[in-house]
Amino acid sequence: MTKYIARRILWLLLVIFVVAFITFSLMHLVPGGPWDREKQLAPQVVENLNKKYGLDQPFFVQFGKYIWGLLHGDLGVSYIYQDRGVTSIILEGLPKTATLGLVAFLLAIFIGVPFGMAAALRQNSVVDYSSVIFSTIFASIPAFVLGILLMIVFSVFLHILPTGGWGGISYIIMPAFALAAIPAAYISRITRASMLEVIRQDYVRTARAKGLGERIVLIRHILRNALIPVLTITGPELATLISGSFIIESIFSIPGIGRLFVQGVFQRDYGLIMGSILFYAFAIAIVNLIVDILYAAVDPRIRYD
Amino acid sequence: MFKTRIWLPLVFLMSLVLIVLSACGQTSPTTKSPTTPTTPATGTTSPVSSPTLAANQVLVVNLAGEPATIDPNKASWASERSVIMQVFEGLLAFNQDLTLKAETAAEIPTVQNGGISADGLTYTFKLRPDVTWSDGKKVTAKDYVYSIKRMLSPEVASEYASFYYAIVGAEEYNGAADKDEATKAQLRDAVGVRAVNDTTLEIKLVQPLPTFLQLMALWPVYPVREDIITAHGDKWTEPPNYIGNGPFILKEWVHQDHMTFVPNPNYWGTKPKLTTITYKMITDANAAFAAYKNNELHITAPPVGTEKATMADPVLSKEIVRYPELVTFAFQFNVTKPPFDNVKVRQAFSCAIDREAFVNNVRSGVGKPAYSWIPPGMPGHDPELGKEYAFNPTKAKQLLAEAGYSDLSKLPEIKFQFSDTAGNRTIAQFLQGQMKDNLGINITLEPMESKAFTQLVNAGNHTWAWFGWGADYPDPDNWLPQLFGTKAGNNHTLYSNPQFDAIAKQALSELDNTKRLQLWAQAQKIVMADAPIVTIFYRERFVLVKPSVKGLKTTGMDGQIAGDMFFKEVYLAP
Repeated sequence: MTKYIARRILWLLLVIFVVAFITFSLMHLVPGGPWDREKQLAPQVVENLNKKYGLDQPFFVQFGKYIWGLLHGDLGVSYIYQDRGVTSIILEGLPKTATLGLVAFLLAIFIGVPFGMAAALRQNSVVDYSSVIFSTIFASIPAFVLGILLMIVFSVFLHILPTGGWGGISYIIMPAFALAAIPAAYISRITRASMLEVIRQDYVRTARAKGLGERIVLIRHILRNALIPVLTITGPELATLISGSFIIESIFSIPGIGRLFVQGVFQRDYGLIMGSILFYAFAIAIVNLIVDILYAAVDPRIRYD
Repeated sequence: MFKTRIWLPLVFLMSLVLIVLSACGQTSPTTKSPTTPTTPATGTTSPVSSPTLAANQVLVVNLAGEPATIDPNKASWASERSVIMQVFEGLLAFNQDLTLKAETAAEIPTVQNGGISADGLTYTFKLRPDVTWSDGKKVTAKDYVYSIKRMLSPEVASEYASFYYAIVGAEEYNGAADKDEATKAQLRDAVGVRAVNDTTLEIKLVQPLPTFLQLMALWPVYPVREDIITAHGDKWTEPPNYIGNGPFILKEWVHQDHMTFVPNPNYWGTKPKLTTITYKMITDANAAFAAYKNNELHITAPPVGTEKATMADPVLSKEIVRYPELVTFAFQFNVTKPPFDNVKVRQAFSCAIDREAFVNNVRSGVGKPAYSWIPPGMPGHDPELGKEYAFNPTKAKQLLAEAGYSDLSKLPEIKFQFSDTAGNRTIAQFLQGQMKDNLGINITLEPMESKAFTQLVNAGNHTWAWFGWGADYPDPDNWLPQLFGTKAGNNHTLYSNPQFDAIAKQALSELDNTKRLQLWAQAQKIVMADAPIVTIFYRERFVLVKPSVKGLKTTGMDGQIAGDMFFKEVYLAP
């Protein structure tokens, strides 16, 4: 197992390097740079800025310097927020985004899994149909519509929740629900499908036949097996949630990192783009590793020797 | 065995919930109480001698995003200025009508008071002796010298440095990025800015520049503290390092979330009545509007497109504040590409666009139709200019025929490029409709990603494009030569007229103000007759202000927030 994890971590480093190279190349290929303004800057000013940020150097020198910095834990400079490094921007926003993402993730699981289970156990009943209807609705409402809708109801009409910002629990409720809606719907659908498949398995019939209580059959034989596909999708979902959402963070003014990437792309802030992409790649890779380790814990058939 | 396997993760998950919830519960979980009483106050916003103040003097406004930098020497965007204007003051400043006033200078230098030499090359500023930094130290002429030289240094790479190239040695120093340290130090010393004594600052120019005093009222030359910047480096803009000489100090900056300002106890002028100003950073216009309705903001701009509904709303309509900005929008031709190399075609297209309809339909009636380039509220604006090529479809067709295009099939394909945003899409579709309805011409719309569009236009590869220009300072100087001068930095129409160039050259160094403005008037006439652009509308600010906000003074040079140039005079009524 240790060997397996070590091997995976080595792969992870290689993946990060490749991602860094591809992003870095693409970034410099798209038309327009950070200093292209509608109100054009004086040529001398552009030259000074390029010099200051090393953009006057050849591509491979720039990339080499970036990787060297990265190895020292420095994600480089931001061209928008000139007085703050990308590392500190990400570190400052991450706790907020991660907290929100984690709350949304837990909401999605605690809503999605029970609903999916109920729908599967009462297949073709009212419970099943209403679960289908609700998850279809939530999966198809865009986050910005749901967000604004929640805001109008709870802030503008009822005046019980603040419209946005970061503070106590009251600031987290609406964005977390808006963020959890789609994954919750998705998880409930997957749980239902997977449960339905497992329920028909021979070992479930065997378990019932040997006289086990329905509860034990459900928990020990059905749920544990049914949750494996759920686990597969919740991993990347968690990585996505804790990396933040541009739309939700913009609507609810969350000072997190979700806004950084889109902002970076629009403004050609090479530093912010690289920082957010690498962070996201890292989060996805780590979470996938954890999911793979958890498989072994949940499913005795899976072993990594 | 299985029990531990299934229950352990569950216990783990539950404890995570608890940890997360307790982490978010550090501050009071109650909804933030509205900072404004909901009962509408009566009366106008004019300040009275002894105004009744609300007990709570906390003004909450929206900066609409994190400022990129709040270093006066580096700043260039409106949201950055909004912060700097509260914390710093320059030698000169603008009045509400955009005329100049002395701020931390004792008086405006003139030839009569000896502040400007007869040849217009030497400016001497007398400083007020009572101006202090927020930590109590005196502001001296040395602070201004440091600031100006720092702004010009190639390392700081200030975006506004080129505005100050008229100062002796400025351009050489700013262009010295590749030189060694010794040469740089030499060039730095050679910059024509000097502290004669603690309260006298002398600046020498390479050539007379009639708008130099206006430049001295802008933020890049506000004083900054050498000792603080040396000690903290780039981190000097974080409170409590961010020391200024203005009416407020920046007490707190929670990045991407909010900023808090409190009055500067060592401020030399009249102390503000507000006890706190909070700048929120709500980027989404709809969210900001909701926050305003939920009494979380005192001032907001309703989302573009909702203006008509706002005007019809019984409550909100009473809170509307509208005023002109120094911003003009226009369609710019590439005059080197056919058919726009023909002046008659350009004039014809100008006659084919109904500006009134544009303002009413596209801008919900906010803004003013524009027939000439320099906007109202600024010296040089001529309300009569350009009417010749106002909306007139008959004339448009006639001009097109004169240009040799009575047969429309002879016209090459006309492309219109724009940065692909919802607002610009509406504008492009409007233009397409006007061309179709009034001239029978089909134009091709080419939406582009914003930076790609900017690069296309800056490289002069567009055919026809939408663009706007806002004042850096209120003078034609900032509006004509760099846009319409041959090969000028912002000349994207690629327009060139030697007659214009000659007049502009003369105007740029003409010290007699009346004569200077006459020259600019002449120059603008030439441009409008040659029609490299079709001016469409002058932008107008359309904001909502809670009735409790009193003493708000708006100007065409406001930063991101309406009235932010004079927040030190604002107070809240009960």
